Amino acid sequence: MTTLRRIRVELSFLAALWKTNLLAALEYRASFISQVLGMLLNNAAFLAFWLLFFQRFPKVNGWGMRDMLGLYGMTATGFGLGVVLFGNALSLADIISQNGLDPYLSLPRPVLLHVLASGSRISGWGDILTGLLCMALLGPPDAAAWLRYGAAALVSMIVFISFLVLVASLTFWIGSASALSGSAINAILAFATYPMSIFDGSAKLILLTVIPAGFIGALPADFVRHYTGRGLAQLAAAALVFLALALIAFHRGLRHYESGGLATGMGG
Amino acid sequence: MAAIDVQDLRKQFTVKHKAAGLGGSLRALWRPRLGVVEAVRGLSFRMEEGELLGFIGPNGAGKSTTIKMLTGILHPTSGEARVLGHVPWKERRQLAYHIGTVFGQRSQLWMHLPAVDTFQLFGRIYELDPAETRRRIAMLAEAFEIEHLLETPVRKLSLGQRMRCEVAASLLHRPKLILLDEPSIGLDPVAKQRIREMIKRMNAEEGVGVLLTSHDAGDIEALCKRVIIINHGQIVYEDRLSALKRRYLTEKDVSVRFVEPVTVDVAIPGTELVKAGGGGYGLKLKVDTARTNIAEVLERIGHLGEVEDITISDPALEEIIRTIYEQAALSGDGGSANPEASDAPAT
Amino acid sequence: MRRPPEGATRRFWRAGPAKYTAVLRTQLAHGLAFPADLALRSLAIVIFMWVFIHLWRATYAGAGQSRVQGLSLSDTLWYLVLAETIMLSKPRVSTEIARAVRDGSVAYQLARPFNWLGYQAAVALGDALARGGVTFVLGGLVVWLAVGPPPPLWGWPLAGLAVIVAWLIDFCMSALIGLLSFVVEDVTAFEWIYSKLILVLGGVLLPLDFLPDGWRQLVQALPFAHMIWAPARLFVSPDAGLFLRLFGGQLAWLMVLSLGLGAAYARAQKRLAVNGG
Repeated sequence: MTTLRRIRVELSFLAALWKTNLLAALEYRASFISQVLGMLLNNAAFLAFWLLFFQRFPKVNGWGMRDMLGLYGMTATGFGLGVVLFGNALSLADIISQNGLDPYLSLPRPVLLHVLASGSRISGWGDILTGLLCMALLGPPDAAAWLRYGAAALVSMIVFISFLVLVASLTFWIGSASALSGSAINAILAFATYPMSIFDGSAKLILLTVIPAGFIGALPADFVRHYTGRGLAQLAAAALVFLALALIAFHRGLRHYESGGLATGMGG
Repeated sequence: MAAIDVQDLRKQFTVKHKAAGLGGSLRALWRPRLGVVEAVRGLSFRMEEGELLGFIGPNGAGKSTTIKMLTGILHPTSGEARVLGHVPWKERRQLAYHIGTVFGQRSQLWMHLPAVDTFQLFGRIYELDPAETRRRIAMLAEAFEIEHLLETPVRKLSLGQRMRCEVAASLLHRPKLILLDEPSIGLDPVAKQRIREMIKRMNAEEGVGVLLTSHDAGDIEALCKRVIIINHGQIVYEDRLSALKRRYLTEKDVSVRFVEPVTVDVAIPGTELVKAGGGGYGLKLKVDTARTNIAEVLERIGHLGEVEDITISDPALEEIIRTIYEQAALSGDGGSANPEASDAPAT
Repeated sequence: MRRPPEGATRRFWRAGPAKYTAVLRTQLAHGLAFPADLALRSLAIVIFMWVFIHLWRATYAGAGQSRVQGLSLSDTLWYLVLAETIMLSKPRVSTEIARAVRDGSVAYQLARPFNWLGYQAAVALGDALARGGVTFVLGGLVVWLAVGPPPPLWGWPLAGLAVIVAWLIDFCMSALIGLLSFVVEDVTAFEWIYSKLILVLGGVLLPLDFLPDGWRQLVQALPFAHMIWAPARLFVSPDAGLFLRLFGGQLAWLMVLSLGLGAAYARAQKRLAVNGG
């Protein structure tokens, strides 16, 4: 009973944060529109690259433009949802290393949730829009496919944010992981937007574990294309496992921080 | 020849006003409402070669705008100025070879490199020959006591050390005039004192003119013979420092903390007791230095009991300016007071 | 003693180049101040090259040809190393200039005896050289392990020259975007468009030789291609004729763009003098 009440309280708190973020974004409407358009353009540039690529090489290990559209759309949706709803995940390493957690620690709300949802990247709306456009381009409206798309996007977002939290949590122990965190974001996005089929066995294993790009792009995209019970189970398990790992790492780090401060050194 | 000669200098900026809210922003996009801000309103003054002139005023008084016009960065709306014989905004590059600048809040040194690298780069920028650059670096390093700091990356220096390097760098090309914009901002008292001494020494030894802006009355007091106070873009006071002191800087605040509680039974002549509290441990006095020697007051305090800590401070500049401003307003000429009779007795 | 003021041109030729190379050297040293940090930030190229190796291996295998449009797998990957190096190491000139205009530091630098654009270009080039060096070594190592040694050494100086001019072309275009901040408040949208144009039309992700026939000639004539494709292409197939054609094109674009930049800067300076930025 109390747990249920708590969840309700936290959810309404989250909703309030998101509403504030959205209002703040809309305050500068010209900037909002230009950032969303800019991101659409950014994604269009990558899709244009693939269009050119597949003109010269129609199939790569069985992959074609349609597969690419599905993959790119899925990654864009997961990423977009993540940075709109939990925008501070991108700068979490900096926030931790610059003692930015302190204000949150003095407030009566769950720290991680509060930090993450306190920032929102406007450009993420452009990514979400890209994802929806890709889905629309791929085929006739089919309620079941859209439902699968929604669920898959949720998994994609959870794995993505959890991965960022995991990497940023290293800051608690090594002092500053911001360069590492930047590389990690680059890496996971690069891997999530290329066909899984070009990677061999060991590379695939890495992409489902250490750098879980497979769960952000390829597997959710497969699931949208055709439902399998196994696919659903895989996605659900991935979301739960990475979420749990992120929560454990962050809270252990936080305890470390509260007891002894940050590891120092490693200036610049 | 005057180092700086300014006649009726004025600068207006146009600014956009924006109404609150989203509607306001959108309207401002289409038809911005423009307003005029007068940053500098009719400034006239002269500075001789080799002079140490203090330019004080609160934030937003127009000090920086004036400095920017004197270096040729900004063009005035009207008025005339000559700096070392050049009209700054017409001959900025030529003038740049003869002046040095330090902007307290912006470092000119490369943060991640030792200061000596920036010195050498400046040698190139000001077209000194390498041997001359080396000699000059050695000389300045000694004068500013930074020999041991030259090889350390600038980011690892304390603010006081860095500021000594900044001022030294501005003197590398033997300028005839340096413009120091808030050189002591953020420094602790000891560092402030050191940098003041060094500036004073370079002025005496090389005859470099120094125009110093500050909002710290202590800077001006330690350095300058003459002072100009500006507020709202106008000169509200211009005279020798000694006259200013006689008129306004006569009061010091002294606060003392004793080791054991004392009782203050007799008043110290020439002082005003502000507060005796803290269970007898603390004491705050206002000392009128026109009437009493501060050393005498300190001696008297010593007799009261063993002193643990003592601070002597000038009244805040804002207070002085307010006083000057109020007097100017009373005299009825709209806020611009240029007391000619500087020897008139303080009221 | 002190020289009397003299003509700007004569003064430039006497002391100018030394002044700007000194700026470049200082910025280069500045950029190399944290080698470990620099290497960590340059790790991106390792990731990109690793993905590219997989992608292009699969692609060449699928195409069933050892050469596509005259480029072998090894050529393509070495092309991409240099293309990515140029792209990843080009400094964020427009952001820096826009920031300098907004916070007024542009005004403070004007109080020194140098040409502000020349100073900025020297800083940008110094920055690019520091990052480019590290990036190229890291990316090159990965590709060497995967597909074998780089193109013949004698072509390196030609490609190196072309890379420098490429960064200068980028400087001109980025500085133009940065100067836009005198007119519009936020230039990030323009930066974005510009970087996407380079990405697609410059040949960062695939050699422009692979474009469909009609498009190829048009795209290869644009300045974007001269920033990325030209140096990278020269690198993998060094040849005097190609060098003259591509390098000539680069110089032509550099000339046009620097004239445009000079005009824009003159206007910006006027504005700055009136409103202080």
